[in-house]
Amino acid sequence: MPTFRTGFALPLDELRDEIDRFWTTLTAAPPLHGWGAGRGAGLFPAVNMRETDDAVTVEAELPGLDTTDVEISVAGDELVLKGARPTAGAEPGNGRQKPVTWHRRERGSGSFERRLELPVAVDATQVGARLVDGVLTVRCPKAPQCQPHKVEVRTA
Amino acid sequence: MTTRLQNPAPEHAAERQEQTLTYQPNVDICDRGEEVLFVADIPGARAAGIDVTFEDGVLSVHAAAPLRDLPGRPLRQEYGVGDYRRSFRLGDGFDAAKISADYRRGVITIHVPRLAAVLPRKVEVRSS
Repeated sequence: MPTFRTGFALPLDELRDEIDRFWTTLTAAPPLHGWGAGRGAGLFPAVNMRETDDAVTVEAELPGLDTTDVEISVAGDELVLKGARPTAGAEPGNGRQKPVTWHRRERGSGSFERRLELPVAVDATQVGARLVDGVLTVRCPKAPQCQPHKVEVRTA
Repeated sequence: MTTRLQNPAPEHAAERQEQTLTYQPNVDICDRGEEVLFVADIPGARAAGIDVTFEDGVLSVHAAAPLRDLPGRPLRQEYGVGDYRRSFRLGDGFDAAKISADYRRGVITIHVPRLAAVLPRKVEVRSS
């Protein structure tokens, strides 16, 4: 008499779990760096960086974050941006537990950490940052030894 | 023929200089029953440059983000700066007069309340 092989249902269970996981990700807020696997995926925040003779300026878009939500640290020629963005609808003051329906969830949430290599060592004690309308600007003055030094040419 | 080819070029070049790119902001849309909440990331926009309109059942957001001129030569350029524009067709059943919006930290939140007439109403059952 034929019997069911042990574990026959396992592949179906795995498939069901996979569908459950997929469904959960569809209804949850996306990660900050998005779902894509293309160029730039996995990097948050995106940054623009410029260099002058005496400083390196880094700009990043961090909408929804307050100054207390971002941690900026500098060591040598590395700048680290760390922080987290709460899920929309979970902001303080929205204490109601009434169920809601999400029609779109494109804004990412969660924590982030981005390490940026600066072209030169900077003076960590002089680094200044401001966050205005969701745009973070970090000005990193170059370390004195890395600043251009004009050499005077003497005539004999 | 030569004139047609030569003349538009300088005009187009001038337009390209004046125009900035327009981006589609990321949006969360949350339906709370009595209202629909639109939350959009528009970093760099100024509150005075944001237009929210509701016309013929279409909610539109346009936010002007002024160009930010960082000094020096570019080392990394991972994103562009420009205005934001996006529209959503909502249809009927919303109270246009009571739509409100607030802007904070580069995020605009638009509250679109439903008309009381379309909200579910509990019917009281009387016993004789």
